[in-house]
Amino acid sequence: MLKLLLIGIKDLKLMFRDRAALIFMLLAPFLLTIGMGFVSGRFSGGSTGLSDIPVVIVNLDQKELGNALEELFNSADLADLVEPTASSDPEAARRLIDSDQASAAIVIPQGFTDSVIPAEGTTFDSTAVQPAPVQIEVYANPSRPTGAGIIKAIVDEFLSRVEEGRVSGTTSLVGLMQSGLLNPQDVASEAQELFANVDESESTAITLKTDTQGAEAVEFDLLAYFAPGMALMFLMYTVSYGGRSILAERSQGTLPRMLISPTSNAQVLGGKVLGIFLMGVAQVGVLILASSIFFQVQWGDPLGVLVLILAAVFGATGWGMLITAFARTPAQVGSTGAAVMLIFGILGGSFMSLENFPPFMQTLSKITPNAWGMDGFVTLALGGTLKNLTEPVTALLIMGALLFAASVVLFNRNGIAQQ
Amino acid sequence: MKSVASVSKKEVKKQSLSLCGKKVKIIMKKIFAIAWKDAIVRFTSPSELLFFIILPIVFTFLLAGGTPSNDDDNRIRIPVVDESQTAVSQQIIDELENSTAVRPEVVTRAEAQSQFDDRRADAVFIIPAGVDIEALQNGSAQVEMLQQPSNLNAGIAQRAILTAIRRVSSSVSAAQNAVRQREAKQAFASDAEKQAYFESSLTLAQDIQADAPERVTVIEGTTPDRVNYDPRANSSAGQLITWVFIPLFGISALFASERQGGTLRRLLTTPTTKATFLLGTISGQVAMALIQMFLLVGFAILAMKLNWGRDPLALFVILLASALAAAAFGATLGTFIKTEAQASGVSIMFGMVMALMGGCWYPLELFPTAIQSAVKVLPTTWAMQGMLDLVLRGGGLVDVLPEAGVLLVFAAIFLSVGVSRFRYE
Repeated sequence: MLKLLLIGIKDLKLMFRDRAALIFMLLAPFLLTIGMGFVSGRFSGGSTGLSDIPVVIVNLDQKELGNALEELFNSADLADLVEPTASSDPEAARRLIDSDQASAAIVIPQGFTDSVIPAEGTTFDSTAVQPAPVQIEVYANPSRPTGAGIIKAIVDEFLSRVEEGRVSGTTSLVGLMQSGLLNPQDVASEAQELFANVDESESTAITLKTDTQGAEAVEFDLLAYFAPGMALMFLMYTVSYGGRSILAERSQGTLPRMLISPTSNAQVLGGKVLGIFLMGVAQVGVLILASSIFFQVQWGDPLGVLVLILAAVFGATGWGMLITAFARTPAQVGSTGAAVMLIFGILGGSFMSLENFPPFMQTLSKITPNAWGMDGFVTLALGGTLKNLTEPVTALLIMGALLFAASVVLFNRNGIAQQ
Repeated sequence: MKSVASVSKKEVKKQSLSLCGKKVKIIMKKIFAIAWKDAIVRFTSPSELLFFIILPIVFTFLLAGGTPSNDDDNRIRIPVVDESQTAVSQQIIDELENSTAVRPEVVTRAEAQSQFDDRRADAVFIIPAGVDIEALQNGSAQVEMLQQPSNLNAGIAQRAILTAIRRVSSSVSAAQNAVRQREAKQAFASDAEKQAYFESSLTLAQDIQADAPERVTVIEGTTPDRVNYDPRANSSAGQLITWVFIPLFGISALFASERQGGTLRRLLTTPTTKATFLLGTISGQVAMALIQMFLLVGFAILAMKLNWGRDPLALFVILLASALAAAAFGATLGTFIKTEAQASGVSIMFGMVMALMGGCWYPLELFPTAIQSAVKVLPTTWAMQGMLDLVLRGGGLVDVLPEAGVLLVFAAIFLSVGVSRFRYE
């Protein structure tokens, strides 16, 4: 056991002396986590990094509804989200979008209000209740799809309220006319009254209750998703780095030399595996500690975090050993390890949520320690404890054990330490 | 004497010109030999093909091809539990079906809860028993929604659900308002008359709503054909830059490997200048990068039906400028790094971080405004901008010239630093 530990600690020391490896294992995931933090809005307090979306408003209507829409974009509620600029020239506004100066331009055409609210003096015809449609134009920037989408959603919501008010006003007018309670000459003035504040309509016949007892009650830190995503991805590099050291020692002759000493084949390999395991634990541990210190990420139950790290590294070490068992040279382990790191990274959800992948990809992701590890870390960040980690921890332990067994068979067949 | 002198001058000029031509030929031969040698060294291991073409295609497919195109249904899926089974609940589901943001999928409560607990669903919408026209009339109708925390899709789903229930309830609200207006003018003779008035108003409101005209039109800016934003184009361009820049940054590993192996020192015994060596290495890698880029563009055009080919000359210019900037950066990196192991790790790290920050993985608009300005110092930002001009905006050569110009300036700066710092040992 002491020999095992000595070999393992020796490999761990070697890793911490290799500055290049340390940069890649620690600095790269840390920098990528910061980048993801920017994208997710973690450092700006939103659910995405989007804020101050530049939008150009051309209000040619200059009447009640056109002005209301312009005021909406300039309201305090949207002050952080959008940065509106007024323009009087639709062509100039479109040019700003074409030259990527803003996310979208909104052109409110002349007559928009009149197409919804009958103007003073208009003869109201109950048989032709539909006004001629005058459309607001949203000129969207294709290279800023999210910002343009949000602008479109705000316009849609405004128009939805307008439409509600119009339906309500028109229904009342037509009903009154059909009941003979409204003279045709009084329709215009009645309409003005009924259509007042048409853009502020709010139906309350159905209320939506959002869940506040379950997951929504927990403040979920997006970095608690991205940081382990990156740490687990680069963990795959670390385990292959460790595997590479086995083959490097073999080619340098230090591995067979160990067998001259009273050390068994199993002890040598066991020690190397322990070294890889310790490297992985150290890497993920340092990254988790760093993100707690620098970004105040709340990881959840500490015991759960510890058990999950050990299980995830165990599963990943199994993959590292299998790659090593198949490879012939350290360079092969390096390149295959880097490829597996990236493939497992994408399959495991380090770049985007697995929800966005087709079902077969979601099933395939189960072969990666990344997917199970991410599952566990998200459970903990949502307030779960060790007892909620049974599934991911068991899966990771089984994965590690199966891969170790396969690696030992391959190592024995190839006589790794004898050569 | 004069004519003899002029003849000899002509001869000297001719001879010096031919000498110059020979020198250029020799230099070109050297550059080609160095480039060819690097290609052989690079592809000695078949695993290089993994990074050259296999992984880029896998990533492009998963991040771009794997995601649905505009032809498919790429709306956010929400499990819907309908425990009411009434005309109103069906109307709400129909409204959700018409939504451009979400796609309802009717399931049982147990299934929905299971999907939510396993985080397979961003949000769940539940219409409990009793949501019918009477409940709407007396204002007691209530629906529920479960949302995953800090989830953008759940937020979008909530807006879509609110729009759907507003549309369904607005006709009831309109009918109720019509009853109030009628009552203000003249009281109803009986409850039955009031109910009849409500029902006829409800029908009228629903008819008006159904015939409502479209009041907004969305136009995508500067696209020759009115195509919608295709997220796959963004992913395809971003992955192309990521996977081409990483090996070009890896030129640093080539330098380190030659320096460690002593082969760079050996070059001192030959009449090869630093500039010739750097030019040979860089041009070889750039040529390979161009082949890789064309393979990836070909994959995007043929397999994913993306429109990369509106202006092949503009595409070539931006690809070449991007490759030159990345290769020059790799050469500069090579003068700072000592070992091959250091170089490969650092080049992958720089490649990934620059790709993320340059908007190759996520649209740049998602970053805070200050970061959007700061990342203009990265070549990946300009390369991505140029490619988006082509693939999203349908631009041509003139449109990509500014980005290509900036990339060439990057290349010139990095190359100057590289040449000045380059040492054989």
